[in-house]
Amino acid sequence: MSIVECVDIKKTYDQGKVEVEALRGVSLSIDTGGFMALAGPSGSGKTTMLNIMGGLDSPDSGSVVVDEHHYDQMNQSELASLRLHKVGFVFQAYNLIPVLSALENVEFVMLLQGVPQAERRERAEAILNDVGLKGMYDRRPAELSGGQQQRVAVARAIVSNPAIVLADEPTANLDSKTGQGLLEMMREMNEKRRVTFVFSTHDQMVMDYARRLVQLRDGLVVDDRVKET
Amino acid sequence: MHLQLGWRNIWRNPRRTAVIMIAVVIGVWSMIFMGAFHRGMINQMVQNGIATLTGHIQVHYTGYRDDPAIEKSMAEPEVVQTILEKRVPPGARWTARVRVSAVASNARHSGGVTLVGIDPAREAQVSFIGEAVTQGHYLRPDDEYGIVVGEALVEKFETKLGRKLILMSQDTDREIASRAFRIVGIFRAEMEATEKQFVFVTLTAAQRMLKLEKGISELCIVLPDRHEVNEVADNLRAALPPSKYEVHKWRDLLPLVDAYLSLFDTFIYIWFLVVFIAMGFGIVNTTLMAVFERIREFGLLKALGMKPWWIMRGVLTESFLLLVMGMAAGNIVGLLTIFALSGSGIDLSAFAAGAEWAGISRVIYPVIHAKDVTMANLVVFILGLLVSIYPAAKAARFTPVEALAHT
Amino acid sequence: MNVDVKMAWRNIWRNPRRSILTMTAIAFACLLLVFMLSFQFGSYDTMINSAVKIHTGHLQVQAEGYQDKRTMRLVVPDPGAIGSILEQTPGIDAYTYRANAFSLVSSEERTYGIVVIGIDPAREANVSTLKKVIRQGSYLSAEDTNQALLGELLAKNLQVGLGDELVMIGQGRDGSVAATVVEVKGTYNSGQDEFDRSSIHIPLKHFQDVYAMRGGVHEVVALGKSLGAIPAIRKAVAGSIENEDPKHVLVVLDWIDLMPGLIEGIKLDLISGLILYCILILVVAFSILNTFLMAVFERTKEFGVMMAIGTTPRRLTKLLLLESIAMTVIGIVVGIIAGCLITWYFQVHGIAISGMSEVVRQFGIPERMYPKLSFLSVTIGPTLVLFITSLTALYPALRVRRLRPVEALASV
Repeated sequence: MSIVECVDIKKTYDQGKVEVEALRGVSLSIDTGGFMALAGPSGSGKTTMLNIMGGLDSPDSGSVVVDEHHYDQMNQSELASLRLHKVGFVFQAYNLIPVLSALENVEFVMLLQGVPQAERRERAEAILNDVGLKGMYDRRPAELSGGQQQRVAVARAIVSNPAIVLADEPTANLDSKTGQGLLEMMREMNEKRRVTFVFSTHDQMVMDYARRLVQLRDGLVVDDRVKET
Repeated sequence: MHLQLGWRNIWRNPRRTAVIMIAVVIGVWSMIFMGAFHRGMINQMVQNGIATLTGHIQVHYTGYRDDPAIEKSMAEPEVVQTILEKRVPPGARWTARVRVSAVASNARHSGGVTLVGIDPAREAQVSFIGEAVTQGHYLRPDDEYGIVVGEALVEKFETKLGRKLILMSQDTDREIASRAFRIVGIFRAEMEATEKQFVFVTLTAAQRMLKLEKGISELCIVLPDRHEVNEVADNLRAALPPSKYEVHKWRDLLPLVDAYLSLFDTFIYIWFLVVFIAMGFGIVNTTLMAVFERIREFGLLKALGMKPWWIMRGVLTESFLLLVMGMAAGNIVGLLTIFALSGSGIDLSAFAAGAEWAGISRVIYPVIHAKDVTMANLVVFILGLLVSIYPAAKAARFTPVEALAHT
Repeated sequence: MNVDVKMAWRNIWRNPRRSILTMTAIAFACLLLVFMLSFQFGSYDTMINSAVKIHTGHLQVQAEGYQDKRTMRLVVPDPGAIGSILEQTPGIDAYTYRANAFSLVSSEERTYGIVVIGIDPAREANVSTLKKVIRQGSYLSAEDTNQALLGELLAKNLQVGLGDELVMIGQGRDGSVAATVVEVKGTYNSGQDEFDRSSIHIPLKHFQDVYAMRGGVHEVVALGKSLGAIPAIRKAVAGSIENEDPKHVLVVLDWIDLMPGLIEGIKLDLISGLILYCILILVVAFSILNTFLMAVFERTKEFGVMMAIGTTPRRLTKLLLLESIAMTVIGIVVGIIAGCLITWYFQVHGIAISGMSEVVRQFGIPERMYPKLSFLSVTIGPTLVLFITSLTALYPALRVRRLRPVEALASV
């Protein structure tokens, strides 16, 4: 069963005088529980694809269905609500709200969802323990290392039990050891909690960890293979 | 070169620059406008005071100011007049008056007034009354029993043109003299109090009624230029024996206006300062933001060998440009506002009774005074640069290392 | 604590210098406004009170038309009846009777036309400050007949001292000639030149005899407990007066009717003050707008992340508004406290305004001015500040709604 269904996505950006064709007809179907990487050089359209799947950006043509929600029929606030409940995001850097502690960052999403306070706290602590940040609940982002910050970001992305977590170059700002730890942790979450992960990356290590690897080039899918495990 | 660099720098964030410039523009505008408004108010107060029988200089018999009684009259006015003719500058106008407190009454009412005996032709050149008559006519030299009264007095006494009004006052023999006059003219004045207070008859009528012969109470002089007052007054004082004559300048005669005049400067400078402080916070904050955003840049410049003083000068140049532009726009808008209002004035009729009570005109015409405008601009410019020293010094103090570490 | 409030609070302190400068600007405006308005209200109070105390009282019962025309024959014919109405009206502290007649007053040396006022010495002392401002001689007593009190300036103009005689000639209520000789018993200095130059007081009884008042008076003057209670008292008194004869209608006037210039002057002063304050606040508003704007533009990326994880633009707006309003409120509270403290100091010690004595004597304000803190003087200014700065904060807070997540994330 597929959780994400993209059909013939096209997207052109108007960058001043030049038009940039970011996506030229990408179709992609992602199964529940997948751990997939979108790879390709910069400018290949992978971030755009991720943004479109997350409802941050809208395609010029083509359709996106995430967990049976058709994006083209939704307005901005419905998309915000969908992101809140169905999609988790992890970015390359500056993921966290700087004025909130690790625990509060994780709680924030549940707060938006309207989860009662006691439950919020319990779930947030549990997930922070899961990502290996036990005892660092009250640290502000500035007091955490880059890897720890990304772990908080992952915890925040999955705490709401989304259908899919979209991670845009999550390891790009980390050294390889820290990056590997993060990937291990994410795969563990994927297996333990059955959360679907989609990465955009050009980090070989991420590609190695992925179970499915989709290669993009100049806005088109050039390769799509599922690795044997 | 510095200016050009500063100019480009302040437009790196046009919105921010625009916002702080609006603050400066409103501030400068309000300084210039309020300055002109109050200057206009006070000028009208002075002009009203001078036109309402005060003139620029008055000559009285010694002791008259403290005790304005009929026996403190100048019995030989021609002596003074000869001296006046020699001593006042060309273009000066002067007139003789009899001025006593009197009781006016008719069948229904009585009340206190100031009886003024005037030389109609000369008086018209000196005070407001020559052009103030709106009904009937102004006094003629042969109006032996004619009297000109204010509109408010007419209302109060329930009388009208052509009716009789009886005036009583103490004559030179300390007897009560009374004489019936007929209202030949009704005048209007800026202040209702003026209309109620003064009644005008001819000089000869007043002299006859009070048995003054040729005596007069005062000589009132209007100079072509208000600023010559001190000089002319000193000159007259030297020529007139102090045992018999005293010379007063308008500021002595209008103590309330004088007090307002000295309060005015204080008030307006306090206002300038207060407005400046309000925008000073904005100038400091905005400049600080601009500086902190460019920490890396300043660090880099320092690493390239730029001296702290140059960086400081750079930041101050930006403030300078900001202030100059804001001031220019503020001045233009301020002067335009004043210009637009100079025709119709600012109408305070809605508060006529209040304006009357405070002694100000019902319509205020703002007046641009070079000194006020200069002061406003100086305050903003000098203080504006002074407060910019703080962010400028901050910028100069960043070390290359901490600047480059800053994200 | 609510997470939004917590976030707003922490965001304020991300850049303490900037926030403190912003809050200081707001506090400065509030402080100044609290002080200035307290000062203005204090001087209005003094002006009203001194005028009420020496001239008009809070309420007067007069014959209709007397206020404008001041004609002898427009009398309150039976003052005792009005007195007993006032006795029964709650809220009235004291009342007295007065009668006025314009007369020629002559001393040995001088003659002036002046308003002679007949007063009931005992009652007058409860209503006006006349007894307290006697400088030489003594106040009138109940037995006095042809004794008079006059202002120091008038005494000087008439060149008379205590014990000297004055001849008064005027017109009685019936139009007959009224004349009497009185002896100067005391002189007073009320602090208001105009009053001290133009009034003379004699016992009411003697006045009524001389001016053929047949028991009538011109004004029944009452003092209430406070200015605020006057409208109700006025209504009660007006309701109790029976106006049967349409030719002799009695009216109740309050201090505003009695001194229209004063209240209008106060309005004029207050309005011009408020215009100045609004301009000032506007300058402050633009001074701090940049801080509010920076809060948005500096954190665009952060907002992008927040939107990506599902925060609605509405909530971001709320957050930003909370931030700016929290800053405003802190500034206002600090400003109010500082303003109150400073005002309080001057309320106790007074402010001497040099070079103002002429102005002061014109308007009857004492030379030491005392600002007066009141609910209004403390709240009007800060409310204006809150209103205008909230409007200022609205612009950046609404602007955040135009942010699109992708662009926000892409910004540096």
